[in-house]
Amino acid sequence: MTVRARRWLLLAGWVLVLGALALFVQRTLNISTDLRSFMPPAQTADQKLIMEQIGEGPGSRLLLLAIGGIDETQAAELSRGLVAALRADARFDEVVNGAFDEDVLADDFLPYRYLLTPSFDAAPLDADLLAEELAMRVEDLGSPAATLLKPLLPRDPTLEVMKLAERWSPPKPPRMREGVWFSNEGEALLLVQTRAPGFDPAAQGEAIGAIEAAFAALPDRGAASLVISGPGYFTTLVNANTRDEAQWLGHLSTIGFVILLLIAYRSLAVLGLAALPIASGALAGVGAIAAWFGEMHGITLAFGFTLLGVAQEYPIRVLSHRRAGASALESVRALWPLLLTAIASACIAYLAFFASGVTGLEQLAVFTISGLIVAGLSTRHLLPRVLPERFRDAADAPGIASAWAFVERMPRPRWLPPLLLIVAATMLWFAPTPFWENNLAALTPVPKDLLEREGRLRGALGAPDVRYLVVLDADSADGVLALSERITPAVEALVARDAVEAVELPSRYLPSLATQERRRQQLPDRVTLAAALAEAQRDLPFRADLFAPFLDDVERARTLEPLTPQAFANSPLGTRLAAMLVERAGRWLGLGTVVGLRDTAAFDALGASTDGRVRLLDLKAASESLVVAYRERILHAFAIAIVLLAATVFIAFRDIKRAWHVLAPMTLATILVLAVLRIGGVSLSLFHLVALTLAAGLGLHYALFFERQVPDVAEARRTLHATLVCIISALLVFALLAWSSLPVLRAIGLTVSLGVGFHFCLSILMARHAQERGNGD
Amino acid sequence: MLRLPTLLACLLTPCLSAAAEAGPAALVAGLKRELPARTPYTEVRFAQMFDRPLVARGELEYLGAGRLGKRVDVPYAETTTIADGQVKVQRGTRAPREIALGQIPELEGFLRGFSALLGGDADTLARDFELTTRGDGAHWQLSLAPKDTRLRRRVKSIVVDGAQAAARCFTINDADGDSSVMLVESLAATELPKPLTPHNLDLICRGVLAK
Repeated sequence: MTVRARRWLLLAGWVLVLGALALFVQRTLNISTDLRSFMPPAQTADQKLIMEQIGEGPGSRLLLLAIGGIDETQAAELSRGLVAALRADARFDEVVNGAFDEDVLADDFLPYRYLLTPSFDAAPLDADLLAEELAMRVEDLGSPAATLLKPLLPRDPTLEVMKLAERWSPPKPPRMREGVWFSNEGEALLLVQTRAPGFDPAAQGEAIGAIEAAFAALPDRGAASLVISGPGYFTTLVNANTRDEAQWLGHLSTIGFVILLLIAYRSLAVLGLAALPIASGALAGVGAIAAWFGEMHGITLAFGFTLLGVAQEYPIRVLSHRRAGASALESVRALWPLLLTAIASACIAYLAFFASGVTGLEQLAVFTISGLIVAGLSTRHLLPRVLPERFRDAADAPGIASAWAFVERMPRPRWLPPLLLIVAATMLWFAPTPFWENNLAALTPVPKDLLEREGRLRGALGAPDVRYLVVLDADSADGVLALSERITPAVEALVARDAVEAVELPSRYLPSLATQERRRQQLPDRVTLAAALAEAQRDLPFRADLFAPFLDDVERARTLEPLTPQAFANSPLGTRLAAMLVERAGRWLGLGTVVGLRDTAAFDALGASTDGRVRLLDLKAASESLVVAYRERILHAFAIAIVLLAATVFIAFRDIKRAWHVLAPMTLATILVLAVLRIGGVSLSLFHLVALTLAAGLGLHYALFFERQVPDVAEARRTLHATLVCIISALLVFALLAWSSLPVLRAIGLTVSLGVGFHFCLSILMARHAQERGNGD
Repeated sequence: MLRLPTLLACLLTPCLSAAAEAGPAALVAGLKRELPARTPYTEVRFAQMFDRPLVARGELEYLGAGRLGKRVDVPYAETTTIADGQVKVQRGTRAPREIALGQIPELEGFLRGFSALLGGDADTLARDFELTTRGDGAHWQLSLAPKDTRLRRRVKSIVVDGAQAAARCFTINDADGDSSVMLVESLAATELPKPLTPHNLDLICRGVLAK
């Protein structure tokens, strides 16, 4: 077999293995998009509740819909059509548009209305009360509402179903037009609760797609438009925006990267081959996750690819360092100890992530370590064997000689690094903003006009606040309901004095067993009730036997077991109550939603009067405290990583001075990046930390290679060529990101770009042989 | 064989349709009153839920497009005012209750029709109702059948009986067979027939059974 044939065979085999790996990954790996699986495991019951409620709480699963652009009659018709279509879709727990729902209590639950209604708590169901109610019914029958009431009367002369429906409608209902909710701007309003958690972009995207499809399928839409808002919608939107912009910038930088490699190496074949090691690394990383975890978080994938960007340096180093008279394999062998030091120290550092105990970070570690190892090994053993034999010596590349001479001539004052350190420290000290950004949402902001629209719809619909929950703690679900009943008067007092617009407590839907039992026992028996009824209708025109169904229902109610939350779950409103009752480690928590909170301190008294069993939970503050706790763990991991990295470099060199010349520029450059970001008013987030790590990884390469003792000027030029190609390629990707309109992309782009610049300059400035220049060459 | 009927049809049809078109429009236009228009009324309600007809007396008031008032004096005190899409019901000395008309969309159509009828606006009326007329100038009857299917499920028809340019009775026939007859203007203070049945009331409205 000729050398050429062997090369092609090896190449074909390599590509084939990569293809098979890609297929395996595609078949086995699930990409999860739920932000919470990237978060640390919750420690306390409260944290668990927060993690759950951030995504699954009743508030965060709400979508607000508005149909506008046409006249109110048509909008109302479309609203009814959309409700009918979405109620048939299992992706939605609840769909309401304000229309009076006669099925608010399903038929088999109807007799329970006498246990659920508070109507007879103050005055018993006797002749006096019935006489007053029936007189009102006579009047009702002469009023415009008569046609609506007629079918209900024989069974329900006191209209308990309507009273319950009113009690169960949202606490601050929007105005009604054409039988459904309308905004002041003339849009029909709907509330939709998705089954999927609010911060699962994929599932929310699916639900939003289903709503849009159902709307598009409605007849006679005309010029009507559908507006969707809510946390789930924003999650989806922000995700799509980030992805779109990242993709667009990615395409642009890929084109730039291709042009750069073509200019640098003047070979199409090299261009394709140079991509193989990093492709191998990425696929190996994803494959390792697929085999180990089976599921990967979207953020791990994005962070992982970012961190793996270091591996793009490996083939570039090999390509730039080829020299005349030596095969590609021989050039690689000369470079390998340095590359191995870089790879090993990075991998060992990432082990710290693996020990962090956070699934997302463990995945990141597995991905990056396996990716770097495979990219490194394939660069060492496979790439040289498939490279074409003809190449151009990078030392002779146009301009590189003068560039080298320029770099060599640059002054390297020894006092500059300490001065830079002092300047950086000063900048850090005087930075105008808080050091950390705790609000993750600030990095992926929602456009202002959409937020204003959200506020307007939320106000119009009286939809609950996503930020606050009233938490009730008891030892059973019924205990929660009893507690909820107990605090209702106090909560109503808060509403009356405008501390809050409305609070929806669980007992609004279902009274405690004791209350139901008390009401049951107060119901009159059939004989008593019939006598009271006869007396009440003596002077009224009602037919004598008209209310027999009413007598039957009350009699049935007298024999009913009180409704438990479990039994109530089967009623049309069951899902709403179920969302408000959560079991946590043997205890039960009730979750009340809050509308328009003005005075958070007002709830403190409520907590004090119930021995802390009722409290106001601020999900934003709580999630921010989680982010802080999370970051602390990551910082610990980083600290250990830095120690491991330094130790690896020392061990590899067995020379404190050499190790110092590699680690010092890296450290100073990282501090400088931090200082520049901070003086520019940037508060740091997780994304900045990941970007700093990547920049440090790249800086390690620059420092290692500039620190290396080279035999001749040509090799020194090759080092410069390789480093320049690496730097320009990194800048192509990250400087573009730095111009992005999205803060999260900007954070990564700006940090890495700054890092690349500082690391490059400092590793030249502080390289060991630079200080020994004069006796060097 | 075919020629004569065809010819007759051609001759007659335009006349018939013209009469049908002019009839309701002219009748409705004739009902228009100076604002505010007020009339006492006597209402007799026949309902399956009642074992006897319920008789109420009071005053009706029309204040312009979409604004109606109805006061009940006997047997209970109640004032209902409809304006700007809101229904306000005040009973006795109790606090007034407000219902948004939008909550009962079919009712909105019904009241729009009633208001158009009192305003002499035949065009609006014809948009929501199928109109038919019967009788001559001395005693006429105008029937309104709702076009909206949802309203039709509640209200079968509204029948207005009148003589010359004045209405005498408004009869609302509910889809479930209940009905309410409101005697107004010249008939408002009339003595009710015995026995008090829909049939006897109908005779009074049509002027057949004079007092």
